[in-house]
Amino acid sequence: MSETTKPLLSVRELAIEFKTETGVARAVDHISFDLAEGETVGIVGESGCGKSVTALSILRLIPSPPGRIAHGQILFEGNDLASNSEREMRKIRGNQISMIFQEPMTALNPVYTIGSQLTDVLRLHKKLKQKEAREEAVHMLETVDIESPEKRLDEYPHQLSGGMRQRVMIAMALSCNPRLLIADEPTTALDVTVQAQVMEEINKLQKQFQMGVILITHDLGVIAESCQKVIVMYCGKIVEIAPTNELFRNPQHPYTKGLLHSIPRIRKEKIDRLPTIPGTVPDIQNLPKGCRFADRCPKASDQCHEQYPELTHQDTRSVACYHPG
Amino acid sequence: MDREPEIQNKEPDSAPVEPRAKRDSLWKKAFRKFFRDKFGIASLVVVGIYFLIAVGVWLDVIGTNWSATTDASFAPPSSEHWFGTNINGQDIRDRALYGTRVAFEVGLVVALLATTIGGVLGCIAGYFNRTIIDEVIMWLYGCLDSIPFYLFVAAVAFVLQGNPYAMHIAMICTFWSSTCRIVRGEVIKIRNLEYVEAARAVGVKPLTIVFKHVFPNTLHILLVQATITFVGAIKSEVILSFLGLGVKNSVSWGIMLSEASSEVSGGIFYNFYTASIFLFILVIAFNIFADSLQDALDPKKVSV
Amino acid sequence: MPIVELRDLKKYYPIKGGFFRRTIAQLKAVDGVSFSIEPSTTFGLVGESGCGKSTLGRTVLGLHEATDGQVLFDGKDITHEKGADWISQRRQMQIIFQDPYGSLNPRFTVREIIREPLDTHNIGDAHSRNERVHELLSVVGLRPAVIDRYPHEFSGGQRQRVGIARALALNPRFIVADEPVSALDVSVQSQVLNLIKDLQDQFGIAFLFISHDLAVVQHISHEVGVMYFGKLVERAPSLELYENPKHPYTQSLISAVPQPDPENKSQHQILEGDIPNHRNPPQGCPFHPRCPVAKPECKTEKPILKNLGTEEKPHHIACHLY
Repeated sequence: MSETTKPLLSVRELAIEFKTETGVARAVDHISFDLAEGETVGIVGESGCGKSVTALSILRLIPSPPGRIAHGQILFEGNDLASNSEREMRKIRGNQISMIFQEPMTALNPVYTIGSQLTDVLRLHKKLKQKEAREEAVHMLETVDIESPEKRLDEYPHQLSGGMRQRVMIAMALSCNPRLLIADEPTTALDVTVQAQVMEEINKLQKQFQMGVILITHDLGVIAESCQKVIVMYCGKIVEIAPTNELFRNPQHPYTKGLLHSIPRIRKEKIDRLPTIPGTVPDIQNLPKGCRFADRCPKASDQCHEQYPELTHQDTRSVACYHPG
Repeated sequence: MDREPEIQNKEPDSAPVEPRAKRDSLWKKAFRKFFRDKFGIASLVVVGIYFLIAVGVWLDVIGTNWSATTDASFAPPSSEHWFGTNINGQDIRDRALYGTRVAFEVGLVVALLATTIGGVLGCIAGYFNRTIIDEVIMWLYGCLDSIPFYLFVAAVAFVLQGNPYAMHIAMICTFWSSTCRIVRGEVIKIRNLEYVEAARAVGVKPLTIVFKHVFPNTLHILLVQATITFVGAIKSEVILSFLGLGVKNSVSWGIMLSEASSEVSGGIFYNFYTASIFLFILVIAFNIFADSLQDALDPKKVSV
Repeated sequence: MPIVELRDLKKYYPIKGGFFRRTIAQLKAVDGVSFSIEPSTTFGLVGESGCGKSTLGRTVLGLHEATDGQVLFDGKDITHEKGADWISQRRQMQIIFQDPYGSLNPRFTVREIIREPLDTHNIGDAHSRNERVHELLSVVGLRPAVIDRYPHEFSGGQRQRVGIARALALNPRFIVADEPVSALDVSVQSQVLNLIKDLQDQFGIAFLFISHDLAVVQHISHEVGVMYFGKLVERAPSLELYENPKHPYTQSLISAVPQPDPENKSQHQILEGDIPNHRNPPQGCPFHPRCPVAKPECKTEKPILKNLGTEEKPHHIACHLY
């Protein structure tokens, strides 16, 4: 990394394991990345790649057992979150680091009003009194562009649409001015028009609050429009890191290339068949020797099957491949 | 962007060979999960011992002296009478052993029949939710539930004068309703699942759907309900026998406790302790077993 | 002759309320939709949640009974078929579901799942049915060795293939595909989409492809219809629709799709507001409260779907702007 300023978040050789009936599964296998202040980093990958596990582990939300941090550090403003106690983490969650989730319906408690859920956060972390918390809550709802906020405070989650609920979640997450926002598939469950609204909201608030944002998604379109840097994960490992423009213009890793080619996009002319990545993702409890993508890779050589290619860095780009480009 | 990569004509899916554990059916997985639960195994062993006793009594191998009267009334525990004797000089040990068989008989008959009836009616009521069929079944168990249990048993016993199964019938008639209610709730959920809709789309007839698709997915509930009913039946029998409405021409823990109620004031505890301990251990073991079973069978907890 | 034709199809659900649970209003899930599908072609139905597209798909199949209007199959009115007729009609029309996890019975093996349609309709004997299952597995690209495995042993994409094999078992001529790839990973989506196209080429099956994903729909469909609040607001051949969207809703829908091209950051036309409430539907055009170019008559008169193109290149719109 050629940054002279210290990164906001620095993940170093993080490994997360889960104990299962059939043995230990390593969901995240020694990954490292940095996030600067005010930067939006996208983590992209498919099911089982470990992106959600990574996000949850930053806030130590992985239940332990069966999961545990097997190795590594999560440095946030110098402090290693991996070695924090639960009590110390509780002070950080919702306060300095916030998270928004995929399903706004299940992330909000259906039996409490929006107002009580918002004010709870404020009273807990900012130690505000009920009346002040309510005023602050109205202000937060205005910030996320919700109409008639005073009325909304007394409504229940089921009375709001999906997009509005997601915005309430964002308001809750931002109510204490966090330095880092983790967004785990925030728009996947939303309609495309609402998705656009919510992403615009997140981008605007990021600039306003100068937060770092980790955006986790499988949607490359969302990544292209919101992130400065992209991390591509496959089977628990990082296979490529690059600035967004460069990743899309010139993907280095065969998996990234395959992914970019196979996403259906609106085209000017019809094509007959979509390019695909043949085969399926390997089982993390039964990983092949060597590169995990080798079985599906058009460029795989003997070396690829024998030894795992470590992440090599060049300038602003990193790639884990013997045959990049 | 560079040229799009080579496209293959049809990608035969390379479903990789899964490790042993993943390939088993849901029942086998539940089985293995259950056997990792130490309490579950311990309780199953205890229940197993009781079962063997019941079989032994049925085969006339043990507990044969339960009705033989002797002169040794209220004799204290000795090598001949392990737990002493009652007012008629009858051996309490053999009476308690015989009671085990009676308990199992009542428990099994009631559990099997009540759970089956409750399960079947619950499936039908749930699948035909919002139709007259559901309304009728709900009305039926609503009515039965509103009659106080012991009154109902007394009424049935009166009507079925002298029939040795009067108690069983009364219990079955009242115990099926809780199973029915639970199964009905589950079936209403299952009914909306896509694989049921898929069966409809294929043209499968409604009753076939109920019995081939819905019912098997309620078996885990039924198994647990059966164990709960088993224990409930045994406990009810104890109270009914205590009240004189239970088994006739036989002995059970309830009858022993009934005898005990008059003896205790005179300082004689043989019946009381023996029957209570036999009952207590079986009920606790069965309860723990039911809990472990429920954990093992819970489809939501199906792990990798 | 079109293989499937919808004529003013309606599906209403009564909304009950009040003290006596009387019907106080109708939830108009599908409110007068008409279009037709030619054999061996795919009609893409696109729209957001609550627009009624899933309900439409199921009503066409007869899984929900239509409130009004007609569904014609090969020219025959099948709208109110019941009993044995309805069951035998299943051999012509089938469905593929969205959820690869929920659409397969977890207690059935793959063999049992795919055999069920054959058993239900008494096709062939035990031996030939098993052969057919093997045949179907290789058609969808699964190894025959997996025939006695359970759904939980497969990945999402593989389960979806099993669902497709089941839908093919009776050799239907028409399949409703309800969001078949939405729950799958991106790299698997393209595999399954290619499979669906291959099946159309190989067996001449017509598809009604329902999805909220505009790019997927454009790729797979010959003709596309856009639904909003129970009505079809625009309908055109797929390239034409995406190149020349005329309805304001279609325009904002297409504009909202995030493009995976950072150098070409498109300006999104952000649509304000939310879909209307069914208990209080707007008068006139259902889109007018959110429409950036609404005119006075949009508030009072319902627009009718009209063909603004030609006979060869039709382009139907329901909008007062035209």
